[in-house]
Amino acid sequence: MTPEDALLKLADSSISAVAELLEMLCPGQVGPHQVAPVQAGQNPLESMPMPAVATNVAFSGNVTGGNLFAITVEGGRRLAAAMMGAEPESVEGEVELSELELSAVNEAMNQMMASAANATSAVLGYEVDITPPEQLSLASVADAEALWEGAAYMSSSSLVVCGEPCRLVQLVPQAFIIRMTRALDELGAVSPTDAESVAGGLGARAPVALTDSIRGVSVRVWAELGRARMPMGDVVGLPAGAVVELDRAADDPVDVYVNGMRFAHGRLVLVDGSEWAVHIDAVLDAATTP
Amino acid sequence: MARVLVVDDAMFMRKMVSDALTKGGHEVVGEAQNGIEAVKFFQELKPELTTLDITMPEKDGLEALKEIMALDPSAKVIMCSALGQESKVLESIKAGAKDFVVKPFQPDRVIDAVAKAVG
Repeated sequence: MTPEDALLKLADSSISAVAELLEMLCPGQVGPHQVAPVQAGQNPLESMPMPAVATNVAFSGNVTGGNLFAITVEGGRRLAAAMMGAEPESVEGEVELSELELSAVNEAMNQMMASAANATSAVLGYEVDITPPEQLSLASVADAEALWEGAAYMSSSSLVVCGEPCRLVQLVPQAFIIRMTRALDELGAVSPTDAESVAGGLGARAPVALTDSIRGVSVRVWAELGRARMPMGDVVGLPAGAVVELDRAADDPVDVYVNGMRFAHGRLVLVDGSEWAVHIDAVLDAATTP
Repeated sequence: MARVLVVDDAMFMRKMVSDALTKGGHEVVGEAQNGIEAVKFFQELKPELTTLDITMPEKDGLEALKEIMALDPSAKVIMCSALGQESKVLESIKAGAKDFVVKPFQPDRVIDAVAKAVG
């Protein structure tokens, strides 16, 4: 898998989540989507009709990136109408959206951004935090240019909603790409050639000796037996005595995490007949560790 | 029928929830657009039930919930959340929220949650 493949996989998963949410808001009004990488110097909103309304959310924490969703003003008006139970194509209005229409569109876009972030978290295998959404009014495709200055990886996904075009732009941090390619590497999906191109393309660091000051830093280390995914309603209603099945067999290796990063895998052992410990079978490849 | 305080930073969501509750025979006694207003209106209006959005400016729904529960441990609060806020929803339930609805939701889902909470 190349970095571009990882980028497109992430984009497809995110736009699919957005399309699914839009289908709930305006049933039968969501067309198929297309996903494309954005080359350096290319505007991800290229060919998008203007004026448009947009919502931008950034990933928080120590990564740079985020999602921007833009829809034409006419599309926004139709989406708002659908959300209020009217026929989307029956509404006509001024160039500007009314306060209530804008509120409906912003709410829809906030929900889409939450859904996209949720999909991103699912692909990466850990929760991605996002900043509060920022609403934008775009008169031209150049208006949002400052947002993607210096972005390492970018994708642009197109979708038609209520007959109007919209676009999901993803600014993807290097760390996400590395995480995804590593996950696939663990599944045996990456050939040595691909792995080299990923490491080279992302500027992976050579292992460096830890300085004494870093050696003293305390980190959290834990082992994970397995996971389960279930509806929230079932989780909060779990009675004492309930049994939750995990996704691992009893003799599968356990994962060892260091400060949230999967670091190694190994086997549970009993020490002195009463205390759990993990016997490390393998430490994961440092070249693909973000 | 219950006297309800509706809290959401989006005007559209306040209108949608209020319309649904009114059609369901409830009385919307007030609408607040952030956590600070939510706590203030809760004290002033003494609603039987509050619907509380999680993501809001100024003060979010989770903080407002904790203050409301401190003011009245028997307060009935239903949280409204978008997808991907599972950890905050769980924290809300632990903090005393009676139920939650995930956006986007149908009006009937709000009415059902209110009926269950005031039951």
